[in-house]
Amino acid sequence: MTALSVAGVTKAFGHVPVLREVSLVVPAGTRTAIVGSSGSGKSTLLRLIAGFERADAGEIRLGDRALTAPGSFVPAHRRGIGYVAQDGALFPHLTVEQNIRFGLPRRARHTSRVRRVMELVSLDPELSGRYPHQLSGGQQQRVAVARALAPGPRVILLDEPFSALDTGLREQTRQAVVDALEQSAVTTVLVTHDQDEALTFGHQIGVLDGGRIVQSGPPAAVFDDPVTVDVATFLGAAVLLPAAPAEGYADCALGRIPIRHDHSGAGRRAQALLRPDQIQVTPNSGPPNAVVDKVQPRGSYAEITIRTVADDTTRVTLRVPIHQAADYRASLPVSVRVAGGCVLYPLG
Amino acid sequence: MTVVSGSRRAGPDPGPPAADPRSPDRAVPHPGAAARGASRPSVALVVLACVLGACMLVPIGYIVSVVFDIGWPTLSRLIFRPRVGDLLRNTVLLVVIGVPATVVLGVGGAWLVERTSLPGRRGWAIVLVAPLAIPAFVSSYGWGSTVPSVEGLGGALLVTTLAYYPLVYLPAMAAIRGLDPALEESARSLGLGSWAVFARVVLPQLRLAVLGGGLIVALHLLAEYGAFAFIRFDTFTTAIVVQYQSTFAGPAAGALGVVLATLCLTLLVAEASARGRLRYARIGSGAPRPPVPVRLGRATPLAVGAVAVTGAAAVGVPLTSVVRWLAAGASWTEPELPAALAQTAVLAGGGAILAVLVAFPTAWLTVRHPSRLSRAVEGMSYVASSLPAIIIALALVTVTLRTVPSLYQTAFTVMLAYVIIFLPRALVSLRSGIAQAPESLEEIARSLGHSPMAARARVTLPRLVPAMTAGAALVALGAANELTATLLLAPNGTRTLATQFWSAASAVDYPAAAPYAMLLILLSVPAVALMFVHSRKVPAR
Amino acid sequence: MARRPLALLTAGLAVAALSLSACSDSGGDVPDDALVVYNAQHEQLTKEWADAFTKQTGIRVILRNGSDSELGNQLVAEGKDSRADVFLTENSPAMSLVERAKLFAPLDKATLAQVPERYRPSSGLWTGIAARSTVFVYNPDKLSASELPKSIMDLADPAWKGRWGAAPGGADFQAIVSAILKLKGRDATAAWLTGMRQNAKIYRNNIATMQAVNAGEIPGGIIYHYYWFRDQDGTKEQSGNTKLHYFKHQDPGAFVSVSGGGVLASSRNKEKAQQFLAFITGPTGQEILGKGYSFEYPVANGAAANPALPPLDSLEAPAIDPSTLNGTEVIDLMTDAGLL
Repeated sequence: MTALSVAGVTKAFGHVPVLREVSLVVPAGTRTAIVGSSGSGKSTLLRLIAGFERADAGEIRLGDRALTAPGSFVPAHRRGIGYVAQDGALFPHLTVEQNIRFGLPRRARHTSRVRRVMELVSLDPELSGRYPHQLSGGQQQRVAVARALAPGPRVILLDEPFSALDTGLREQTRQAVVDALEQSAVTTVLVTHDQDEALTFGHQIGVLDGGRIVQSGPPAAVFDDPVTVDVATFLGAAVLLPAAPAEGYADCALGRIPIRHDHSGAGRRAQALLRPDQIQVTPNSGPPNAVVDKVQPRGSYAEITIRTVADDTTRVTLRVPIHQAADYRASLPVSVRVAGGCVLYPLG
Repeated sequence: MTVVSGSRRAGPDPGPPAADPRSPDRAVPHPGAAARGASRPSVALVVLACVLGACMLVPIGYIVSVVFDIGWPTLSRLIFRPRVGDLLRNTVLLVVIGVPATVVLGVGGAWLVERTSLPGRRGWAIVLVAPLAIPAFVSSYGWGSTVPSVEGLGGALLVTTLAYYPLVYLPAMAAIRGLDPALEESARSLGLGSWAVFARVVLPQLRLAVLGGGLIVALHLLAEYGAFAFIRFDTFTTAIVVQYQSTFAGPAAGALGVVLATLCLTLLVAEASARGRLRYARIGSGAPRPPVPVRLGRATPLAVGAVAVTGAAAVGVPLTSVVRWLAAGASWTEPELPAALAQTAVLAGGGAILAVLVAFPTAWLTVRHPSRLSRAVEGMSYVASSLPAIIIALALVTVTLRTVPSLYQTAFTVMLAYVIIFLPRALVSLRSGIAQAPESLEEIARSLGHSPMAARARVTLPRLVPAMTAGAALVALGAANELTATLLLAPNGTRTLATQFWSAASAVDYPAAAPYAMLLILLSVPAVALMFVHSRKVPAR
Repeated sequence: MARRPLALLTAGLAVAALSLSACSDSGGDVPDDALVVYNAQHEQLTKEWADAFTKQTGIRVILRNGSDSELGNQLVAEGKDSRADVFLTENSPAMSLVERAKLFAPLDKATLAQVPERYRPSSGLWTGIAARSTVFVYNPDKLSASELPKSIMDLADPAWKGRWGAAPGGADFQAIVSAILKLKGRDATAAWLTGMRQNAKIYRNNIATMQAVNAGEIPGGIIYHYYWFRDQDGTKEQSGNTKLHYFKHQDPGAFVSVSGGGVLASSRNKEKAQQFLAFITGPTGQEILGKGYSFEYPVANGAAANPALPPLDSLEAPAIDPSTLNGTEVIDLMTDAGLL
């Protein structure tokens, strides 16, 4: 297994820049999720790695081998990189088995290999004679992954492969695919717009914004310490409060909170990032430091908006389980506590 | 029936594969999406498509050269004379009365069978499209040989309205099926009655279909020869044929051709500007559930009567007439019959294969590499095939005689004429076929280790076979019915079903014409069935 | 395996298209040694001739059918490149057109000797092969004998408005007009044509005209005689209610039109072509005219016309040298009059 590296890759369509000097290293046998919003260029990045497009500048290497470099370009079919498209892109005129066999060399087209990869992605062997239109969406995606895995590629690229699936099916399919990738220990890059998917998918996450990778690293580390407010809000629900930093603490409407990471550049004015689940609210314990503004049931939970006693202009919205929602009503004084520390950013 | 193309505007035009709306990454126009599609077509392909497109323009070039060759003084003497005024009046009346009549029949019929409680509407839906299987000149023969008073403007309008209204009916039907019934239901909930819903909600959404269908009808009216010649109605096309018979491809025929071509191009421009930005208005994604039919109630007998009379007049009369003449001693054993059948098959089959070959580069470019250039090349084909067959034939006679005598009156030239006349049929089929074989499948095949050409062969080609077959079939069946160009261009000794029919019908030997008429009708049935099925396909999901 | 399957497929289709067109060229039609006849005569008559000729000589004959002026002008346009070996017409103006373009080869003396001089041009470049007479077909229910026109020229009078029909698009009628032009001059002809445009109902051909008279749509019409006699000989469906009126008295309307035949100078089968002309003007060919389907008058070898026909000599036709009829000027005049 070999590491995949992308260095300084730039791509524009016409005059529209899509990727600007993107660099990324995916260690051998690991899974990396690239997350970004629409138009961030993540699909293009994948297509460049696959060899469907040529980069304007930069290098893409697989181990020692340059795939895309100034003056050299290995076409897609000589790269040995598997690709799974968003809709599966199964060949409609071929059966499941023929689809999976498609990339196998002529002499290696035994059914045993087909059966093995079908098992790998937990596909019922009885499906092998079916045509794609006779499969469910989840089955189609598993066939697509099995097809990509069958020739034993060194790298597999997944372009939002689960986004078209229903919520329930989605989790199940994703788990089956992650298991299969894990077992075959293939280097994998997934692109997605779904933060939760990106954070749970693999060993590394890269955040793509405006054609650049703004941050990458292990998912927990990136989630714990987003380098910008944008990354922070993109990765999950965030509570941002104006804060004044002071000796390892930040003073804000919710009181004095320890600073875990400081990106504020030591300015006087800053904002503190908290995740909603860090904030605990209780109706009757301890001295009240806030008042409930409104309570909005949202199905399995309720959103409670509070304003602090210290700063009447700040509103904070947080969640409580729905069975506790009855404990709250507007104008009720409550006690708010913050667990753990905050991350500090410059204001504005 | 000469110019194509119920299917030109009528047929589904899926365009490039649609992005999956559920993915936010694709739902918003990707900055690179358009540019990506336009990525580097091979130079050879572009050159080939341009050369073929230019070949399609030969008839236009001919018209321009006529203007220069004859010179203005002679040309104006040949154009500004009372006879041309008569022809102009006839032609304009024909279009101005005929097109609205076909629209009324076509849209009304489509609405009745698609959106009302008309009893037996599935059967009526087929009955109403059936006239398309009877070539207009056969229908004219059917009427003219049975009811001699069918002649002149009235007769011409009767015969051609009945023969051509399906060209509006088919696209109108497709459009109505694509309408979201929720719109009609909302209108009803806002207090509109059935008729008001039809007039204020349904009709406005059919504008595109009506415009497109109306244009095709108008072009057919300008191009028709046999149907009018048979019942003594003079249009530019019939006058050109008469001039051709008097002077071969002389200046007078050319001058009339200039006027006729100008009329056609005017129609194209008028339709395009009426369409305007409508072109980009996409019709909704289709009916999620069947709409509740409008109850006709006491109007039921009237509606059934109207549909039945239309069907009887458009199909019943010509068919009965053909059968009657068949019974009156037609001979199926004449030695010319198998010969004509064989020669028709060779010419039409060759033309169909050639048309698919010629359409391929253009269709590929427009789907895979959409650009201003590819649209221009495609446009050339449509403009060329909008010209009446008589002009295309005159152009090919003149050009081959003057510049490539070795092609003069050869089978190849006949096939070339078929290609120019029927190319849109092949283009539309191929385009939708190529669009249904998205590039992403080829990319997957490449990522699985297949070279680009191998990927195309194993993934794209199998998907194109049905489209190529359908396109070729539509061209072949159209060509088998073609009369005007075949009359002028056929090689020495070559007789097709259509020309054999015509020479018998012209000599008022009705029984002898009947077997050919029957064969022409039978040959058209598959093409009409194809078009019908196409129009009924509700856009997927 | 194919490395470039799409290219191969394309090539395959191209080969298929080419071979289809090739097979229709060779398989159907024009072997080099076959005689190509540009035929403006009635297809049925020429087929009778061709079949008999093939039976006698074994020479294959291929017909390209069209009308007089169409094929005549086509020969002129094709010039030396034409594949035609023989040209047959219904009327003489188209022959003159091709003769003026110097495209005919002189006919064999023996062939010319079979045809009386008045039925062929003095140049000897073509010959008459048959003759037909102009007639006025009328419906006695609509027109009594006393009302019949004395001369064809009368039909331009306002009195005849809407009361007669003809087929001016055809070469037959154009030949009749050329006789009027020859006998009455340009101005009178132009005036007559203008009157005709006012008066006449226009039909596609002689049969349609006769049928209209038969159905009573119009009282009378100008046609050639043999359409009437053929139908009388058959079902009488199109002529049962009609009679013929001959203008006689050397009137332009009594014009007898000579059908012509000639050999093209560019012919690659001149000998066979001469043989064909000799055959149709010879005893067998002329006999087919007298006995066969055609009801046209034989002109050569003293062959007898169909006994149903009045003798050619009794028609009091105007004497016109067939080679002096000018088709081009007639078409221009008719175009100017708005008839074409």
